Amino acid sequence: MLTDSEIISTLEMLENENLDVRTVTLGINLLDCAGDDLANVKNKIHSKITQLAEKLVPVCDGVGQKYGIPVVNKRIAVSPIAVVGAALSASQLVAVAELLNDVAQEVNVDFIGGFSALVQKGIARGDRALIEAIPQALAATERVCASVNVASTKAGINMDAVLLMGKTIKQAAELTADKDGLACAKICVFANIPQDIPFMAGAYLGIGEADAVINVGVSGPGVVKKAIDRALEANHDLDLGHISELIKKTAYKVTRVGELIGREVADNLKISFGVVDLSLAPTPHVGDSVGEIFQSLGLLSIGVPGTTAALALLNDAVKKGGAFASSRVGGLSGAFIPVSEDLNISESARQGYIGLDKLEAITSVCSVGLDMVAIPGDTSAETVAAIIADEMAIGVINNKTTATRLIPVPGKAAGDSAFFGGLLGQSTIIPVNNGPNENRFIRHGGLIPAPLQSLTN
Amino acid sequence: MNKVILSVLGHDRPGIVAAVARILFEQHCNIENVSQTILQTEFAGSFILTLPPDLLPEELRKILIAEGSLMDMHVHIEPIADESAAFHSRPSEPFVITTKGPDRKGLVAGISAAIARYGINITNLQAVFKGGDAPGNNIMIYEVDIPSDIDQKTFYQELRETAESLTLDISIQHRNIFETINRI
Repeated sequence: MLTDSEIISTLEMLENENLDVRTVTLGINLLDCAGDDLANVKNKIHSKITQLAEKLVPVCDGVGQKYGIPVVNKRIAVSPIAVVGAALSASQLVAVAELLNDVAQEVNVDFIGGFSALVQKGIARGDRALIEAIPQALAATERVCASVNVASTKAGINMDAVLLMGKTIKQAAELTADKDGLACAKICVFANIPQDIPFMAGAYLGIGEADAVINVGVSGPGVVKKAIDRALEANHDLDLGHISELIKKTAYKVTRVGELIGREVADNLKISFGVVDLSLAPTPHVGDSVGEIFQSLGLLSIGVPGTTAALALLNDAVKKGGAFASSRVGGLSGAFIPVSEDLNISESARQGYIGLDKLEAITSVCSVGLDMVAIPGDTSAETVAAIIADEMAIGVINNKTTATRLIPVPGKAAGDSAFFGGLLGQSTIIPVNNGPNENRFIRHGGLIPAPLQSLTN
Repeated sequence: MNKVILSVLGHDRPGIVAAVARILFEQHCNIENVSQTILQTEFAGSFILTLPPDLLPEELRKILIAEGSLMDMHVHIEPIADESAAFHSRPSEPFVITTKGPDRKGLVAGISAAIARYGINITNLQAVFKGGDAPGNNIMIYEVDIPSDIDQKTFYQELRETAESLTLDISIQHRNIFETINRI
């Protein structure tokens, strides 16, 4: 027999606190579609994805309805297209991206990730073609997401790739100048990219994964915030140790939901269940914000002094609660700070409480990195690359995933607004120190060697 | 098998269960199941018992009502139906139906009628009506077993329409979600 408080508190999370499963992402291995004949590759990709993903959306909707928990996004992640299409040219890879977009539309998923390359140690021919194809591929499609891993703790930072990505991001922005550089919202540059991220834009299916796998991204910043608010209302003097415990318990509940739904979707599709990604992922809606949690914890706004400590507490507690709740944890598993996608963080940027420096600092204690950060359109490719390099260094040295999703908004300056729409939100453009100028350090290129794994201070 | 169900109803106070249990012990009855609840000021207890061969249910009832501490309680004893006559649910899944909305007459009747029309068994019901228009103060929670062979879509739709006509917000969820979230 259930108790009424168990039922009422669960309904409260669903109805008023935006508890949902943020994404169920079907990973599909496309390595058996590789080849040097474009038409053949496209045919194979089309038939493999449609065959496996045909029922993804109806099954997710059915399971969501059964439990009364919406699965907000249904997505697909595929093997790195730089590997699948290693024999293809850049223009042919654009055609592959267009096909992926069409297939995504056909099976009714909002994003398909995996237009990706792994170049942390060197750039192979296929990788170079894919990176070259990214601007056109993302400008010509709506649903395709790209990611490039340019660094890892074991390999170091591939600075040639970093500079190449700086240029690629600038080109992608220019090709979508009429949409405030929207293509850049679909490119993530990574250090230590996990192989099983369900969240976009970084989702792809790693080389070491099975033929098909279901990964789940949970969410729940609204639930965490309300739990903190309620506890502090009952006891103003609650100390941070107790708040951490509270967040742990709340993260446990949120994660259990993701695990239950993910496993049932996987069972129904007869596909193996992969991981739950324990990330607090916001949306641009009031009450579904990571930024608001900082205010509940007593900070004026995310970005003011105390932010890094608060985020460290939050991120760690979410992981502890989530790790206990799920038997398979993976992906990024940390709080996201996507500036434009979080109404509250976006407002902090507008008011000047948070800038590039503080955003970079807090990525040392959370995933993912400089996420959905709109920067002035006149920021040079070298400066974009330099921002990426800084972020990669934090990941490589600290043995964690970091990433950037930077949008140099064409024709706009710091303080202007950029609008991306939907879940991607909108943001004030954040100033960049020495933005338009050259950067000789970046031009050196080469490889920043892998770091020592001891003497860790 | 001399199996009976004993129900004891009356104003709640300490000592009711102790008095009943002592008499049952003295009369060599075996208690198989007990469930008790308190609704506002009133006690309700149900006991499933096996009686010794020489004790008739009516005799036991007389002994119980003669007990001083149970004087003003209502005591009822009824033989339990044969196993063959008992209700057996078809293969089914456990769901929880919750409604919230302003208090008015006929809410339980309306919702439970819709549930009964589909042959769905209510396994537990908790309802609180504190009155007024605050939805949170007026809540019904039905735990039900929905047979797998009924047309769930039509049932959901009919239940939602019934709820709407009673100005209730309704949710229908598989029971596992509550257990998963709240229990380790």
